[in-house]
Amino acid sequence: MGIMDGGGFSLPVVAPVEVVDVDISFTESAKAAMRTEFQGDEGSRVLIISAQSGGCSGYLYDMKIVEDPDDDSFQRLDVEGMSILVHNKDSALLTGITIDFKDSLMGGGFQIENPNADRACGCGQSFG
Amino acid sequence: MAADNHSVEIMDNANHLHPVAQVFSIPSSVSVVEGVSTLEHLNRIVSIDTLKMPMLGRIDGLLCNANGRILDITTVCNLDGRAIILGSMGRGKEIRQNIASGIPWNEELVVKDADEAISHLLLIGKAPQRCLVGLGIDSTELSNEKWLEFGNSLLSIHWSCPEAIQILVPANHHDSLIAALEENGAKFSDLENWGVVRILSSILDHHEMNPNNLPFELGLQNLVALDKGCYPGQEIHARMESRGGIARSLVRLKSSELVPIGKSKIENIGRVMVTDAYRYGDGGIALALIPHAASEIDSIQFENGIIAEVESIRF
Repeated sequence: MGIMDGGGFSLPVVAPVEVVDVDISFTESAKAAMRTEFQGDEGSRVLIISAQSGGCSGYLYDMKIVEDPDDDSFQRLDVEGMSILVHNKDSALLTGITIDFKDSLMGGGFQIENPNADRACGCGQSFG
Repeated sequence: MAADNHSVEIMDNANHLHPVAQVFSIPSSVSVVEGVSTLEHLNRIVSIDTLKMPMLGRIDGLLCNANGRILDITTVCNLDGRAIILGSMGRGKEIRQNIASGIPWNEELVVKDADEAISHLLLIGKAPQRCLVGLGIDSTELSNEKWLEFGNSLLSIHWSCPEAIQILVPANHHDSLIAALEENGAKFSDLENWGVVRILSSILDHHEMNPNNLPFELGLQNLVALDKGCYPGQEIHARMESRGGIARSLVRLKSSELVPIGKSKIENIGRVMVTDAYRYGDGGIALALIPHAASEIDSIQFENGIIAEVESIRF
């Protein structure tokens, strides 16, 4: 019998989640960069924008182009034929953000401006 | 101020430990994280790199807020797809919420409260290994980098105190393990006694590891890895490490009377925060944060006239 085989463990801890209707703005340069990243797969793939623990300020942004998870836990935005998904649990953290794209060798790439953030890391990838 | 040797009883730290060992049942928070990405998730939020932990590996790190202040110590045991996280008494609910709140959408992680499931014992003394021999435990296999499995318990050496062995045991085996340790020479001791032992052994708990304090003020540089990448508080810690700016230092105070817990303003020194204090012998002992500029001072005199000898603490 191991240390985890006894009783007394709680049910999974559930973090309180506030779900709001997500609204995200994209600059023209961000839309163009997203279109390039989709590589013509806009019909079957989606861009998921999310927040996870970490970074200097508490949360990290993450953006992934993946097969459509077809999951009701996500809110779906249509941006000129591209599907953008945000999980309900991230909705309060991410609503209102503006996504830009800077074509620069240093510090370039997607940039996120977040009105919900009290603070942001110098590299721009973390907020809190 | 020079120490007044007539009013300060000099106590010898080396003699505070039991000749064999005392066993304490330490109120602690115990959490369990389960899922294939457990170590990756912890690595995003803890001040130490958790990615390379082997099975039964141990790391001691800190969970901090974005201002770099300590939320709690996190002593982690890797059980391959599960991790036990040992923290300070009373901090578990907040820490579990902290861990659970930022789980990525594509990672299936479960966080559980194990406060009632797993107990934390601490065996400390001049020869704690003698109590283990009779149980069939080879104490030469103990280290502060891994956990040793013994039956349904896990044993490891404390990160800051080599004379202390931490034991995680299922709560329903707590009493029987203590009885077995007592049969092998350990003395079960109460928490009043623990306070004295922990202060003299420089073992920090929630009195020090809390959001009032920064790791560098407590001398906890060893629990921070500035080269591991970002974690909450890392930017602040890196700035403190590179530019200095440590305002306070942790010290041990020894006095002929019990010093008052809490803040005091001391002439020519500044603000002193006594985090915990106990009677010891005919006097008192305490842990305190004092202005860093005064950390090499011999003694301080409180407003009520109590003079305390100042001893610096290094980990």
